[in-house]
Amino acid sequence: MSVGYSQEHDELREVVREFLRQRSPSPQVRRLIEAELGRDDEVWAMLTGQLGLSGIAVPAQYGGAGYGPVELGIVLEEMGRALLVAPYFSTVVLAGQALAASGDEAAMARWLPGIADGSLTAALAVAEDSGSWDLADVTAAAEPAGDGWTVSGGKLYVVDGHTADLLLVVARTAGGHGVFAVAGDDPGVERARLDALDLTRPLASVTLRDARAVRVGGGRDTAAWLSEVTDRVLAALAAEQLGGAARCLELSVEYAKVREQFGRPIGSFQAIKHKCAILFLEVESGRSAVSQATAAIAADEPDASLAAALAYVHCSAAFTHAAKECIQIHGGIGYTWEHDAHLYLRRAKSSELFLGPPARQRARLAALAGI
Amino acid sequence: MTLERQAPVAGAAAAPAAAPAAAAETEDAFRARLRAFFTARHPGRPPKDPRERVAWTKAWLATLFDHGYAGPGWPAEFGGMELPFGRQVIYQEELARARVPGPLGTGLNIAAPTIIKYGSPEQKRRWLPPMLRGDLVWAQGYSEPEAGSDLPSLRTTARRDGDEYVVNGQKVWTSHAADADVFFALVRTGTRESRQKGITYLVIDAHAPGVQVRPLRDLTGGHLFAEVFFDEVRVPADNRIGAENGGWPLARTSLGHERAAGALNQAAMYRRVLTELEDLARERGQLADPLVRDRLVDLEIRVRIIRYNAQRTIGDILAKGEAGAASSVSRLLITAFEQDIHEFAIDMLGPAGLLGKTAPQAVQRSRWLLGFLRTRASTIGAGTREIQLNTVAEQVLGLPHDPGLPPR
Repeated sequence: MSVGYSQEHDELREVVREFLRQRSPSPQVRRLIEAELGRDDEVWAMLTGQLGLSGIAVPAQYGGAGYGPVELGIVLEEMGRALLVAPYFSTVVLAGQALAASGDEAAMARWLPGIADGSLTAALAVAEDSGSWDLADVTAAAEPAGDGWTVSGGKLYVVDGHTADLLLVVARTAGGHGVFAVAGDDPGVERARLDALDLTRPLASVTLRDARAVRVGGGRDTAAWLSEVTDRVLAALAAEQLGGAARCLELSVEYAKVREQFGRPIGSFQAIKHKCAILFLEVESGRSAVSQATAAIAADEPDASLAAALAYVHCSAAFTHAAKECIQIHGGIGYTWEHDAHLYLRRAKSSELFLGPPARQRARLAALAGI
Repeated sequence: MTLERQAPVAGAAAAPAAAPAAAAETEDAFRARLRAFFTARHPGRPPKDPRERVAWTKAWLATLFDHGYAGPGWPAEFGGMELPFGRQVIYQEELARARVPGPLGTGLNIAAPTIIKYGSPEQKRRWLPPMLRGDLVWAQGYSEPEAGSDLPSLRTTARRDGDEYVVNGQKVWTSHAADADVFFALVRTGTRESRQKGITYLVIDAHAPGVQVRPLRDLTGGHLFAEVFFDEVRVPADNRIGAENGGWPLARTSLGHERAAGALNQAAMYRRVLTELEDLARERGQLADPLVRDRLVDLEIRVRIIRYNAQRTIGDILAKGEAGAASSVSRLLITAFEQDIHEFAIDMLGPAGLLGKTAPQAVQRSRWLLGFLRTRASTIGAGTREIQLNTVAEQVLGLPHDPGLPPR
């Protein structure tokens, strides 16, 4: 029963929160949105260099701090609160966790140090037109070419895919599925940012035509590897959703304390109190689920996949609910572009649908729970 | 006072047989010892007759007490085990695993912490051991016909007369009143306008002249609760806990973090209930239905989160000495869960879910239907869900109190 955070964890949380409060406040988030930038170079340099956050879950022999899912979850939760605009989820969580679990020493030695020190950004390209993460739905194909490979096909919904230095592309081969590393600026790669709901986390289409590739993790069964990566991604995403939901609740409570109607704060009305209290139940439940999931993955417990899926399903619904209630409690001001509530709603709904329809995630959870 | 007179059971006030010293015992050995005891002494299936069931439960509680296995968080001088918190958690886990009867009445969970914290040495000696041993059943006298959620408006009066109080009034929704030997009650000693500042905590002999218990039939058809009438009931002044007019702050005392450990017990119980429902769905061939599966997933998520919450609270207590925010949400989650699981079960069963336990076609002796009805009380008793949400909103989130209501 290793649930609960240590004092060091609390300190890590404080450091990240304070950094983001100073370096990624709302006006900064909005500046990056309006400029259609995926990051602020100076903030990214501090975050990855001085704070070392991009290396937090990278093994020490590849230049990282060698921590695990629990610490990564804490960082993600804080980034979710702040709606940080940066290629952190794509580089560190999606691609970084995939590389770290690849069992491929050459690949790890080649790319993980760059991820750890912030000099390399990366993206993981799995889904295609269907949006599905099932290997069975992958149509992109890889073929041997010389001492490497070429990859062709169309990937969609690739987080930061239009800017990443390195693309990890899932494709079919004659002998089953594999993961292939492609340089973002390879002449066979055509990519574009998609017009999509979440303004703080860009999605891209990536089209590959005989793009030159290196196979990664060829020694591992791709399905088992990606399943392990999925657990880690879900736990991290759930932590990020938890942070977003907690922030929506805070914004709602702060506003309900000061906004007066009928001569009294709206937070003194039971209708508003109950909305906030129910969000609190959902946020605290999410906190329990996330700490359970990250601890279970860190300890490699048998129910880690279940715990990660559970945390993701719960936090998905909780964040979307919190974002919608945040708008409702703010009334007219909550419906404006200027208020941040819609940015959270956009992130919430996008992360809820990131791996496919919620009903499918629940069905997956049912199977994991033995129902 | 007649309470002592009604506790003639042999060994009632005797010190329990000493269990092995906890300090030298490892946690694993402690767990094994509990498990062995609960297995060896397990009382078996409960009798169907309600009177017999009370006697059966009392016998079990006496067995626990006499062998030093009662009151995990209680001081040893009153027959408790005085376990450190980590071992209380183990105790609750083993209790849930063993499926032994729980306490009788509401004294152990509600009155005992108040007595332990605020009772005089004489009151503790007089009341605590027989309560823990199950010799005397305690029931709560808080709610009244005109004082439910607004408890500070209660009207039952206690008038001082020499070294006695004279109690008049009516309590209602009193669980276990028919079996009760003692009522722990909130009574008005100040003016009605004084609200919570004019309330006194009084322990009343249920068998005293002028006390009348009228069972109330609840919506399940059973008689778990009752109305209690007090007509010129004379109560010794030394049955008062705390100061006159100082009873209100005592009423919600909890003992250390034993509720957090208790939440784990409930989580384990509902884990088992949900597994039984899943087995039922499987037996009936309904697990393939995506709508059934989706509802079961929802319950799976919730029952696991209830456990995670309990574990997180316990982890916080062990690591930091205080329960974190998760502790304030567990009851709200559990009560909603127990309502929803029973309702979903009868929905899943369809018309068969509507059959009472004497119908030959009833499924599992109608347990799900009975649960559906019984758990209507879950979000009413011990504070309605609405009041509890207000409490979370005001005391945890800091939202303002309704200015149209009297101060808290």
